[in-house]
Amino acid sequence: MFNFNVEFTGEFVAFFILSVCAIIGAVMAINFTKVVHTALSIAFTFIALAGLYVLLEAEFLAFVQVLLYVGAITILMIFGIMMTKHDGEGQEPGRPLLETLAAIGCVCLFGILFYGIRNADFPTETIAFSEDNTREIGLQLFTRYAIPFELVSVLLTVAFIGAIALAKREEDPQ
Amino acid sequence: MQHFWDQPLSWGNAGIFIASAVGILAVVIIFVTYAIYFERKFIGWMQFRKGPNRTGPLGLLQTVADVSKLLLKEDTIPKKADRGLFILAPALAFVPSFAVLAFIPYTLELQFADLNVGFLYYVALSGITTIAIVVAGWASNNKYSLLGGMRSAAQMISYEVPLVMSVVGVVMMSGSLNLREIVISQSGYFWHWNFIPQILGFGIFLIAAVSELNRTPFDLPEAESELVAGYHVEYSGFRFAFFMLTEYIYVYAIACLTTILFLGGWNSPIPQLDFVPGLLWFFLKFAVIVFSLFWIRATFPRLRVDQLMGMAWKVLLPLAILNIFLTAVGIEIMG
Repeated sequence: MFNFNVEFTGEFVAFFILSVCAIIGAVMAINFTKVVHTALSIAFTFIALAGLYVLLEAEFLAFVQVLLYVGAITILMIFGIMMTKHDGEGQEPGRPLLETLAAIGCVCLFGILFYGIRNADFPTETIAFSEDNTREIGLQLFTRYAIPFELVSVLLTVAFIGAIALAKREEDPQ
Repeated sequence: MQHFWDQPLSWGNAGIFIASAVGILAVVIIFVTYAIYFERKFIGWMQFRKGPNRTGPLGLLQTVADVSKLLLKEDTIPKKADRGLFILAPALAFVPSFAVLAFIPYTLELQFADLNVGFLYYVALSGITTIAIVVAGWASNNKYSLLGGMRSAAQMISYEVPLVMSVVGVVMMSGSLNLREIVISQSGYFWHWNFIPQILGFGIFLIAAVSELNRTPFDLPEAESELVAGYHVEYSGFRFAFFMLTEYIYVYAIACLTTILFLGGWNSPIPQLDFVPGLLWFFLKFAVIVFSLFWIRATFPRLRVDQLMGMAWKVLLPLAILNIFLTAVGIEIMG
């Protein structure tokens, strides 16, 4: 269970760095008291996750992730936040009993996950792997999943029009 | 470069990675130094002035002197600023701008990373710079820089949409998002280059690109007459230099992208001229684009802020969608 046979290729080093970055970003997002800092550390986690997607050769997914989550959603959050208040929340008083229990719970969860993952026997089902998986995604979207795809676009359009209607109503008071 | 990825990470390979990164950094810094010099020279000539001509022969060392001034300047951080983010923002703006350069294919062989989704990579990473600009404006705790940061983010997000949509036509014609394959699909005579069949997309791309770069006529984020200087009001010394460097690296990246997407990359205009190395053709087209950016800056007045957003959403976006439609019809008819 504990014998890790890892080969130090560039890929492994990149994986290690990226996962550490993702974890650090997530932990910082919880620990920061100012909301802008929190939003930025979430963006950091998103970027690290995109890096992991690149390692898994899902480039399209990776860059769409950066484009939407980092480029659009984080900026939207920051926009919203900076219009509100600037000062951070004060430190809450520590609750030692609760914190100890939470720590024990976390360690247990880690143990279970570690045991589960190390013992799991992943079925190695090999699907014909295509070099150009972006093209594959496009083909699937427009042939097999054409109807769900169209439905999702209708849904998005409805949400879009709804958002405009809501914003318009607030604009004029009568 | 790609094959180094699969080999064990020995010191030699790590050395090659670092050496190529330093190499491209040196190229870019030389480009930025002389881009600023020529920008000032060209604008000077267009306005019947001489431009910089005192430092070094023909003023060639002007930028070097300017940069050394910036580096030696006192580094000030406002008292009420958010210190951590104020320091982080210039680095956060610079890193993606430099990382963007990894995917550009200069010739068939000379490319650092061959990505299947080359163009998306550029758009995704430039979004991170937008965050850095907003953060810089917010962290300075100054209303002018906050306004500049907000304008900048709104503008960059809005113009990203037509920028991406205008390239869809090119992608449809070459059947790939991979920049290398886009260039290969344009080989032949110069009328095979994408800028003629995709003339509408080319126009939209150029306008959106100038706006993405925050250059005149779209330089509202730093409109001197209304905003002092924009998001970097409070920055001085080398932090300010980093923001400037970032802007010029994006000029480099956009000029490379335009060359690749619309002007046939390293292909020569007629196949009879193939004996000239591809890198030279690439550089010539690149230089033309960079020059046009300076030219546009010297000749156009600035847009008003309310016209700016209308331009992106009401003019460029519908035109880009029309371009996609026309391209689809064209492909369907002509095969």
